[in-house]
Amino acid sequence: MCELFAMSAGHHYTAQEYLPPFAEGARENINGWGIGFFRSGQVHIEKSCEGIFAGDQMHDSFRRLARVIDSRIILSHIRCPESGHMKESHAQPLTDHFLDHNWLFIFSGEAPKMLGYQSPRRLMSEPLLASRVLEFVRDEMESGLARQPRQSLFQVMAQGCKKLITNYPGKYTFFLANETVLFAFLNHSQILTYQDPKALGETLIVTTVTGGLTSNPEHWQTFPNHDPARGQILIISGADLLYLGHL
Amino acid sequence: MCDLFALSASRNHTAAQALPIFAVRGRANVHGWGIGFFRHRLPIVEKSGEKVFFDGRLHGSFQSLARVVDSPTIVAHIRYKSSGQVDECHAHPFTLEFWGQSWIFAHNGKAPAIEPYSSPHQPVLEAKSDSARAFEFLRDYFLEAEPVRPHTPFFQVLKEALARLLQEYPGEYNFLLTNGRVLWAFTNHRQFLLLKGSQKLEEALLLTTIDEGLSPENWKRIKAGPGSSGKILLIAGGDLLHLENLTFPGSESPVSGGNGN
Repeated sequence: MCELFAMSAGHHYTAQEYLPPFAEGARENINGWGIGFFRSGQVHIEKSCEGIFAGDQMHDSFRRLARVIDSRIILSHIRCPESGHMKESHAQPLTDHFLDHNWLFIFSGEAPKMLGYQSPRRLMSEPLLASRVLEFVRDEMESGLARQPRQSLFQVMAQGCKKLITNYPGKYTFFLANETVLFAFLNHSQILTYQDPKALGETLIVTTVTGGLTSNPEHWQTFPNHDPARGQILIISGADLLYLGHL
Repeated sequence: MCDLFALSASRNHTAAQALPIFAVRGRANVHGWGIGFFRHRLPIVEKSGEKVFFDGRLHGSFQSLARVVDSPTIVAHIRYKSSGQVDECHAHPFTLEFWGQSWIFAHNGKAPAIEPYSSPHQPVLEAKSDSARAFEFLRDYFLEAEPVRPHTPFFQVLKEALARLLQEYPGEYNFLLTNGRVLWAFTNHRQFLLLKGSQKLEEALLLTTIDEGLSPENWKRIKAGPGSSGKILLIAGGDLLHLENLTFPGSESPVSGGNGN
């Protein structure tokens, strides 16, 4: 399974403490990686179809980017061998503009029927599951708000995710972020969050890597999801978990 | 009755168009005004005990500030006192720190039951009013909840704090609470009007208690209906992220689901 990482902070921060352990935790995924972030409202993505590790060496670009990228929200994805062709365009994060925002999206999961989803506005023509999931969630959020403009983003996302797991049963974990807010959805496995106890309130780290990314796994809060027919959405902004909603 | 205004955007914005209209439409509130925003993590509040509108003109400083305050989140308040003196110290917004950050708070309502509230924590606000005590009450609740912070959503603590507030100090509460990145709003009387993507005012998300809104557009009215003890709004980056009814044991009849409008 691919691994996901996000850092959300109240102000611009680097994720230099957490991205290298994330790469370590996902090193068996040899099919590419990506880091996405925001600068002045614009999305920036650096990605590669090369392995995150070559032998014992972490990918040089990944290591350097981890040190220098600073942003309020940083997303990173390390791709597993089963997730598609080894093309750079298939590496994540993916990006799209909708509902007045630039969005970054990373995904991990399995949902074979989902590849058949025909969006009226495809991000890419190739059969990439992450792309189909983003298209579906985007289409549902847009149409939900078009039908009922008085709804909140959480409501339209929750309705979209419910429809996703009902119409296309599978295992889904994704992070969707604009320059202000990070939404995390899962209907299987778990998501872990971490606030450095020495710097509470500075950053919130979110990952799918089991055990977390520090030497003190007891400081990681686990949000497990056992029933794939249900799911949960976390809303995060700054260093705060703002809301946890169960579908 | 006081009136409230907020602007939320993903990037810096002025409220040069909306704020003067807010002040004119709220000019019956004659006991002061205030504008709050954040700059580099720090809350900045400019306020006055003078009338926002006098002799057919807007207060000069209010007008200037409306033009120059430039921030992703701007909060403003026009006061009609229900308790406390008429002076700058009693004007809103107020600021306090909790949950590891600074907060700006502005309130509209009447809650005499909370006036005797004595905070066990420091600092306490200089103002002697229901609004100041209500803000301290919320701050104190969050301070005491601090140990659960890493794993408890802010929303859950706020909901518990509001339930306790309404049970122990019943009253009319409409308030805005912001750390500069997210804006929380609560209403259990009157209403909030919300507009996103205005063609006539700023394109940011705008929120006000002014009954007719601030422009002849399709303002969304958010009001605690029968069976609800109030509405909680979560706003960030120009979006209404979440809207939920507040219910708690012993409150009026429960409202189904958590996400009703």
